[in-house]
Amino acid sequence: MADTRKSKNDDAYVCVGMITAPHGVRGAVRVKSYTVDPDNLVGYGPLFDAKGRLKYKLSPVGHVRDQLIAKIEGVDDRDAAERLRGTKLHVPRTALPETIDEDEFYLADLVGLTAYHIDGSLFGTVRGVADFGAGDVIEVALEEVRGKVVVLPFTKEAVPEVVLSERKLVVNPPEGLLQDEEGPGNRARRPNKSRKDSQADRDSDAVSADAVGAENATGSGKEA
Amino acid sequence: MARSVWKGPFVDGYLLKKADTVRASGRNEVIKTWSRRSTILPQFVGLTFGVYNGQKFLPVLVNEDMIGHKFGEFSPTRTYYGHAADKKAKRK
Repeated sequence: MADTRKSKNDDAYVCVGMITAPHGVRGAVRVKSYTVDPDNLVGYGPLFDAKGRLKYKLSPVGHVRDQLIAKIEGVDDRDAAERLRGTKLHVPRTALPETIDEDEFYLADLVGLTAYHIDGSLFGTVRGVADFGAGDVIEVALEEVRGKVVVLPFTKEAVPEVVLSERKLVVNPPEGLLQDEEGPGNRARRPNKSRKDSQADRDSDAVSADAVGAENATGSGKEA
Repeated sequence: MARSVWKGPFVDGYLLKKADTVRASGRNEVIKTWSRRSTILPQFVGLTFGVYNGQKFLPVLVNEDMIGHKFGEFSPTRTYYGHAADKKAKRK
């Protein structure tokens, strides 16, 4: 059987951090780490630009708040460090260690996978994976309705199969999640008046109120 | 100011009815709800709710740790997925 864990994403580069600012006058830079443990940034070996052409060898010097301070090989003054501001740092996907658990996946591998329904039809494309406190969920952009997105729980029932070697996963959406239902937002509402219309209404009311006032005044005058 | 204890937790009545119906049927169905303000009660444990965030329904499988929180807490209205980097997701 083919190894379904081997991803075709292996030649890709994964963004792990960004140089945010120079630090001091000796060419050190501040680096924002996107990794789970900020210190892992330098643990994956040399870092590259997005296309893997330029190589940056970082050696950590210290920390400032949530950022890492590092020296980069070949960058010795502040001007050179300033030129690197905003540079995104990547590692090859192969530099990330293999996951131990077979049900554990790197988000970098999951995002972009093609989702197929359990009946074999094309379902959509995975746009993101997140955990909002109720377990991991995957966001899938539907194929049949452009712009519509559904969020599925990342469980064995809802996602029975993940085949990284073919860049696909199989989904079995839970009953009731895809069906449309009438909600409070879909109910018919009274048409909203625009601000201009309501101003015009107020003006007309004011005019009529003035007219009534004038009539009353003349009326009272006649009576007098 | 905290809600008075004598009132008990707030739950929209229709949501309670929906949950009772699904629990009685025994099916593993997603209960779609717009009621982000409802408190999660012990009888909701094990049920899956689809909590609306203004755009889509986020699946929330209720467990014991969620009791006392509101549904809206698990369905953020502004989502930023951030950078994948070396983050992992586990299929449960």
